[in-house]
Amino acid sequence: MSAHDRVIIKKLPTGVPGLDEILGGGLPEFSFNIVAGAPGSGKTTLAHQIVFANATPERPALYFTILGEPALKMLRYQQQYTFFDQAKLSTAVRFINLSQVVLEKDLDAVLEEIAKQVEKANPGIVVVDSFRTVVRKALGGTTEVELQAFIQRLALLLTSWQATTFLVGEYVEGEIRDNPVFTVSDGLFWLYQTSERSSIVRKLQIMKLRGQASVPGLHTFRITNAGLQAFSRTLGLAGQARKIPSARRLSVGIAELDKMLGGGIPEGDSVLVAGASGTGKSVLATQFIAEGIRQGQPGIVVVFEERPQEYAERASSFGLDLGTPRKEKKLEILYLRPLDLSVDETMHEILDAVQQIGAKRLVIDSLAGFEMALAPGFRADFRESLYRMITALTGVGVTILSTVEVDESFTQFPFSTYSISFLTDDIIRLRYVCIDGELRKIMVVIKMRGGNHSKEIREYEITSKGVVIIGKRLTEYQGLITGVPERLNRSGNHEERSHTPKGKSKS
Amino acid sequence: MEKEIVSLQESRNLAQRLLAYEAVGDENSAPSESAASRVCAKLRGPLITLAGVAGFRSLLSRALTLARAEVPNLSAVQIAADGSLRGLDELVSQTDKEQARDGGAILIAQLVGLLLTFIGEGLTIRLVQDVWPEAAFDGRVSEKRGKLERTR
Repeated sequence: MSAHDRVIIKKLPTGVPGLDEILGGGLPEFSFNIVAGAPGSGKTTLAHQIVFANATPERPALYFTILGEPALKMLRYQQQYTFFDQAKLSTAVRFINLSQVVLEKDLDAVLEEIAKQVEKANPGIVVVDSFRTVVRKALGGTTEVELQAFIQRLALLLTSWQATTFLVGEYVEGEIRDNPVFTVSDGLFWLYQTSERSSIVRKLQIMKLRGQASVPGLHTFRITNAGLQAFSRTLGLAGQARKIPSARRLSVGIAELDKMLGGGIPEGDSVLVAGASGTGKSVLATQFIAEGIRQGQPGIVVVFEERPQEYAERASSFGLDLGTPRKEKKLEILYLRPLDLSVDETMHEILDAVQQIGAKRLVIDSLAGFEMALAPGFRADFRESLYRMITALTGVGVTILSTVEVDESFTQFPFSTYSISFLTDDIIRLRYVCIDGELRKIMVVIKMRGGNHSKEIREYEITSKGVVIIGKRLTEYQGLITGVPERLNRSGNHEERSHTPKGKSKS
Repeated sequence: MEKEIVSLQESRNLAQRLLAYEAVGDENSAPSESAASRVCAKLRGPLITLAGVAGFRSLLSRALTLARAEVPNLSAVQIAADGSLRGLDELVSQTDKEQARDGGAILIAQLVGLLLTFIGEGLTIRLVQDVWPEAAFDGRVSEKRGKLERTR
């Protein structure tokens, strides 16, 4: 059989941002699905979003309510969501209460009532909420075989009538093996809600989906006044073609540093700028982004420790105008201080901004701030998610500069306290050294995956023009990277200098 | 602007419109049947579909209790197991007609008021519109321009 002979399964939108991608394109039409999870996990809201995204007067959605949340209360609460379109009610979306049939009659009567309503309305979507109630009631006087037969007939009826079905229920994972409903279903969507320290973490998993490849694993989601929003583990970048690496070098905006880097940062690299507080990491990052704007490369700056306006004002104190490119939509400064966001959710915000302005340069200032902004439960996933985002973005040619604060040690020379050096192609290390009773700053390019680079240790200072490399290679000292160097030769032409910062430095 | 509290006046406005509509008379209805009985009976179907018999009975029971506080004569009115009203029409024949009419109107106003409280004006109006499709409603319940009028 050729590919042309195969049936094409139409995919319906879920109405949940991010979920269609997780499902592999959308909901398979005419599928018979279970939406499972504990109370409060968002099952009913998900079902409503699907209903409102697909219901039309010609192919309405039938929402059968059974002994769960009273229908009036459900309407009271669900209408608060922005997706709830009142105009669709009673024409495209119809709520039918089956509680009495379930309570007073048997499974045959339930099936008969559903069949009657389905045949009358010709629905495109059918929801039974909560189906668990039907099963619980049935188990009172029904054998397992009868229950299985009922579910089988229900699935047959709804599929034959070309309805895409969702049975909503409060199940626990242990039931998967024994409950026949899971065997019959084509799709199984499981919603989780757990509390970790003071934060709530919501995740969903597509445990089963016949006919198409969904993205495996747990995906975080959020419920806002717009309903559910899901964040795929692949960050929406699955299957995106990788850009062929270019030989182009991007200027950092500091001529001497460009030379140290062998002509600049290779386009599409991930660069880590590591240093203690006050060493000029943020200033250097700002120069990098401003230079990109000057060269016509839109940029994104993600900040966690100060507001965008403050960031722009600090840049202007170094003669860098970020206000104009912000107005012209060539620069976006994202302030992310959500505290309970998932790492994937945060990364989605960054990716959206990158895509919106076609950013070529991205600054993350800083990784420590990023990690602190996440809900505690997500911090364990931080490195993995960061890795996925960096790989995805650099793969499409975005050059990323991240800053990271490291504890200044006078016995060690750590690149990062986060063990994220492996995420980066290039590392620039800034540090303090004590020379002649003065705290001075040195810079060294530690690593460049893309080629040769200067191994020189250069002194720099922060002036009103930003980070400025001021000296040649420091040849008169030994042990510079310890922070407490020893002078090798005092008889040379060394000139004592005073280095007073002139700019308003943050770090 | 969102409204936080449903005023009694709002629910009475809508109830009065529904009663006025039914007072014109349905040619098929029994002469002894009051407008309030007809409004209640017509709302019963869609509300049972939506909330079940138990849900509708709870709602009507609450409305009746609230209405009885204003019109004690309504204590003779009962709600049957299927959610239908018993005794309202008999009340009309046994007591002062105007008083009985007021009682019916207050009962409907309380029922409508509960719907407005629980599901809001938009959904309540949609529900009412489904029951009286030939009637046109062109505004908010609380606004004077809102009209439920016979268009046929």
